[in-house]
Amino acid sequence: MKSLSLKCGVAALALMVAGAAHAGKSDDTLNVAFTKELENVDSYFNSSREGVVLQRAVWDGLVYRDPVTNEYKGNLATSWEWIDDLTLEFKLREGVKFHNGEEFDADDVVYTVNYVADEKNGAKTQRNVNWMKSAEKVDKYTVRISLKKPFPAAIEFLSGPVSIYPNEYYAEAGPTGMGLKPVGTGPYKVTEVEPGKHFVLEKYEGYHDSPKGQPKVGKIDIRTIPDVNTQMAELFSGSLDLIWQVPADQAGKLGAMEQFTVANESTMRIGYLTLDAAGRTGEKNPFTDVRVRRAVAHAVNREALVAALLKGKSKVISTACFPSQFGCFQDVANYEYDPEKAKALLAEAGYPDGFETDYYAYRDREYAEAISSFLNAVGIKTNFHMLQYSALRELRMKGGTPVSFQTWGSYSINDASAITSQFFKFGSLDDSRDEEVRDWLDVADSATDPEKRKEYYAKALTKIADQAYWVPMFSYNTNYVFTNEVSYTPTPDEVLRFVDMSWN
Amino acid sequence: MTRTADTLLEEIQGPTPGQMLRKRVFGHQGLLFGVAVLGLLLLVAIFAPLLAPHDPYAQDLLARMQPPVFLGGSWEHPLGTDHLGRDYLSRLIYGARISLLIGGFAALISGLIGTAMGVAAGYFGGRVDMAVTFLINVRLAMPVVLVALAIVAVFGGSLQVVILVLGFLLWDRFAVVMRSSTLQVRSREYVTAAQAIGCSTSRVILSEIMPNIVNNLIVVVTLEMAHAILLEAALSFLGLGVQPPTPSWGLMVSEGKQMMLFEPWLVAIPGITLFVLVLAINLLGDGLRDVTAPENRS
Repeated sequence: MKSLSLKCGVAALALMVAGAAHAGKSDDTLNVAFTKELENVDSYFNSSREGVVLQRAVWDGLVYRDPVTNEYKGNLATSWEWIDDLTLEFKLREGVKFHNGEEFDADDVVYTVNYVADEKNGAKTQRNVNWMKSAEKVDKYTVRISLKKPFPAAIEFLSGPVSIYPNEYYAEAGPTGMGLKPVGTGPYKVTEVEPGKHFVLEKYEGYHDSPKGQPKVGKIDIRTIPDVNTQMAELFSGSLDLIWQVPADQAGKLGAMEQFTVANESTMRIGYLTLDAAGRTGEKNPFTDVRVRRAVAHAVNREALVAALLKGKSKVISTACFPSQFGCFQDVANYEYDPEKAKALLAEAGYPDGFETDYYAYRDREYAEAISSFLNAVGIKTNFHMLQYSALRELRMKGGTPVSFQTWGSYSINDASAITSQFFKFGSLDDSRDEEVRDWLDVADSATDPEKRKEYYAKALTKIADQAYWVPMFSYNTNYVFTNEVSYTPTPDEVLRFVDMSWN
Repeated sequence: MTRTADTLLEEIQGPTPGQMLRKRVFGHQGLLFGVAVLGLLLLVAIFAPLLAPHDPYAQDLLARMQPPVFLGGSWEHPLGTDHLGRDYLSRLIYGARISLLIGGFAALISGLIGTAMGVAAGYFGGRVDMAVTFLINVRLAMPVVLVALAIVAVFGGSLQVVILVLGFLLWDRFAVVMRSSTLQVRSREYVTAAQAIGCSTSRVILSEIMPNIVNNLIVVVTLEMAHAILLEAALSFLGLGVQPPTPSWGLMVSEGKQMMLFEPWLVAIPGITLFVLVLAINLLGDGLRDVTAPENRS
């Protein structure tokens, strides 16, 4: 009965979208859907996941981190060394050409670094670039990058968000021109940009001998389709070959169908509750009491959330960072699911009958709702507010929220400084304002000795967990669904790598 | 066959007005359907705690999206469970409360505002009429959904906000209909007579005019009630109406939307219920109009 109705539904949908171009292996074009549209293709001027995907396909960084082994390899640079705590020297690869024929050399690196490091030019995510002071050319294939202060995660950032642009072209085109007609050294060149609608990428035949490997699929056609049901309908009809970020329930159903492959990978994104420990929303806020915060931690059945809702490679986490990140110390206080204990803690804190509080979320309403039900069950009555990301962020910056469900993806940067230090150093989104934690993180962020960094991150993370400033919930995963014609193994950093895709 | 005096009298005089009304009511299938469905749903809403098999808020993450019994599910959850494992039937039953509450109160508030304005405009005419007509035009120039969305976005969604917003937005039809009905009745002889013997204005309006336009009012009430219920569902669907975990039919459709391709019943069940309720209210209004309209009384 069920499979029959499913087939009927699928057939009807296939009819609905019939007439759309049937493409795929036969014309060497991989059709992919993006859920969100990009503000700008220029990777320094967008902050979305889709932007990261395009950035890795169109441009290269000086360094490349192997997503499987986490080993750093030379990409546009062949070798590098620390001259001192504040200076990095790179030997550049020779013979690399940009998509427009421009030759790659030290001038490109110097121009790009000096341009993006200058705050006035307004790179969207300042923390990706503001640790660099400037770059200078030593000779045609040697370049030095100076740092503002010691920054041990420099190589990680250079392997991620910092990609090198062609100096002559960028000087002329600027971010707007780059956004409409992107030029890089990457494995794919952009041949068509229709903002908000679609992008066409084509294999770059002259791609250098990069650790990313050589592109195999000839053409990638990326369309923006916001609705997951529409994406699936097009996948059924054959006008899409690959969709990603598919919710767990739908992925499970698609996986049961023969013609699709479902690959699940964890991502660096974690979900957590941030509690108003600093009392920003009012002195008498119950969350200023550590017993109330611990009660919240005990109230939520995180194992059930992962098993029933997130599924896949998601895991329950206890620290305020993603486990694979450098410095993400794991041996911290863990609050097991125990509603009775939560009620007892609330009673001890003077709330035997619980209390009422505003509860905010901006995405994954389903998860946020499930968490609020757990809180309601121990007597913390939540007034649920679902806001847009920007609205909630502004609210939190201005006066904080008593409790909100947040997520953070660390821009796929494999270092605890990209998350813990982001939120616990008295920034406008810091709800705990703990001086001790801040001071420890300051040491950890700028020490050059890895052991010392680990030690101080561990101190900070231990106190965060002990005080339950955050209630870390789970790590996210993402589902990639593609037709059996496509061969692809996703990586745990939520970056769709076109260069790794091929036809079966 | 022997004729008694009574039946003889009946044949001569025809049926009494009460009998004629009863005949019209019972001969009107739409009206009967509307009354039956609305009455049933009212009972369901009032006795929700007794009827619902489960707590509509109790989530069971291990029993998510179980199919309803007619698609192979179990009688434990006759209409299945939603994406958080909450009993769908219980949520549907409690959802009836929300829908009827919002429909009823929004129609009440807008009815009071609109009727007061419309009757005043129709009865007094002149400047009062001009002012009211101006207000009606202003109100008609505003798209309801857009204004509701904006207000709810500013004040946050909750049951009270939705009721007030809809109540203060949907009075236009009341005002228009009541104004023209009053205009028609105002110059009748019995109104003039009442005025001539010195009845106070309020007495003229309440006991001479109102009884003669109340049938129009009832029709508008039912229309606006259905309208308010649909708007609440639309707002909740967009995430700006009543907030979770409150069970609302619009919210249930919205939550089921994600899984529409594989579990269409998640959308179909609250969708059909909403459809039936709105249909019943509209048929009821239609029927009442047919039954009470003067041209059908002959």
